[in-house]
Amino acid sequence: MPDNIEFTIKEDTLAKMLSLKKEMGFDEKGWDEWLEFVLNTISFEKKNISELEKIMEKVHFEKSYDEWVKNFSFNLNHIWQESSARDLDPSSNPNYKKEEHSAIVIGAGPSIPKHNHLEILAKSNYQGSIICTDRSLKPALKAGITPDKFEKYYVTSIDGIEKIKDFYTDPIISNYGHKINGIFSTVVHPLTVQNAREAGIKIHWLHALFDYNEGKKSFNQISALMVRAKNHLKGLPAIQTGGNVGTSSWFIAWQILKCAIVGLIGINHSWDENDSWEIITANFNAAKEIDRSDPLFNKLFPKIYNPEFKSYCILDPIFQFYSNALKEFITRSPLWVTTVNATEGGCIFGERITCATFTEFLTKYKI
Amino acid sequence: MIKANFKISKSNETDKKGSTNNNNDDLRKDLTKSEFEEFIVKSGAAGSFMVFRSEKKKDELGLDQL
Repeated sequence: MPDNIEFTIKEDTLAKMLSLKKEMGFDEKGWDEWLEFVLNTISFEKKNISELEKIMEKVHFEKSYDEWVKNFSFNLNHIWQESSARDLDPSSNPNYKKEEHSAIVIGAGPSIPKHNHLEILAKSNYQGSIICTDRSLKPALKAGITPDKFEKYYVTSIDGIEKIKDFYTDPIISNYGHKINGIFSTVVHPLTVQNAREAGIKIHWLHALFDYNEGKKSFNQISALMVRAKNHLKGLPAIQTGGNVGTSSWFIAWQILKCAIVGLIGINHSWDENDSWEIITANFNAAKEIDRSDPLFNKLFPKIYNPEFKSYCILDPIFQFYSNALKEFITRSPLWVTTVNATEGGCIFGERITCATFTEFLTKYKI
Repeated sequence: MIKANFKISKSNETDKKGSTNNNNDDLRKDLTKSEFEEFIVKSGAAGSFMVFRSEKKKDELGLDQL
């Protein structure tokens, strides 16, 4: 390689580079350090998407498959008796215009307390749909986001592990449960649905896709046949989960509830840059064996700059898995869907994602 | 248009400054698939669910009824 390379760029491009370098906190640092940071971010994202997904798939089949089959068998009698999530689809009404409707998905990310988003929503006159992920139901109700004030109120669960049941045990959930529609995957733990049912939440079922592509002998297809054997002759809707309940809720917002505008709050899919490493690595015991100065550590826990909210965040392997999938599916969603990330931080930004403050979202979208 | 000259510093100079190199070869060397899998398994943190993939890309966005 020659010692010197001469190249030509537009003045505007240079101005943008200088501005972004400064904005990202690299004003006093060299060009090489800044470019390396930017390139690291890009190459890491592209390289690891499929690899990460394959690993997660293998881990889940080994860790969760038996549990999902068992959960489904316990749920089946209830599934036959209870509603399909398709019953919540308003598009059978010929007067329904999806472009006039919005939904807010409430995740449980750290931006919720940081920006007082629950309090802001509770005080608003928003009349669209509220979709609480299971973990966020209790805090949302306690903050005053209740179905008395917000009539189109939903809660979602897709995870099969038993501890999710705890998200449905609180007197405040029993107080409002009868006004809340619950949307559950057929493989959630039976005690999760039982707690929701006992709190008065009306249960609606859907399938979570994971092996449908493997044909008639796949669990998705066999379980669907069993569901259709009684009452649900047309079957249930089946959604892409994207690996987590937040992404599932985004899918539910436009695919089931037919809302053309989907606002996200608390969907950080990342850690705040001010979070301690002890918190960030808490779920990753193996990370404690890796020296923090080791480049491997930076690849497992990369720091990302969000140019929309002008903030940094830190990903872990799970958040990389989640955020890569959500961002990809947003780019692939139908053009009538607009996704507004009002989280005010985190790593969900890019193609077809509008970033706005939550107050801006609430000002623009009222229904 | 602006003409710019870039002086190339040797990679060992960069290393001395404490920067990291993150090209694909290094990534593979530092973090093989099996090592990463072991890391996830040992961590006991695999998230909630898996991403569904199919040769029929449209199916990946969900099915109206199944």
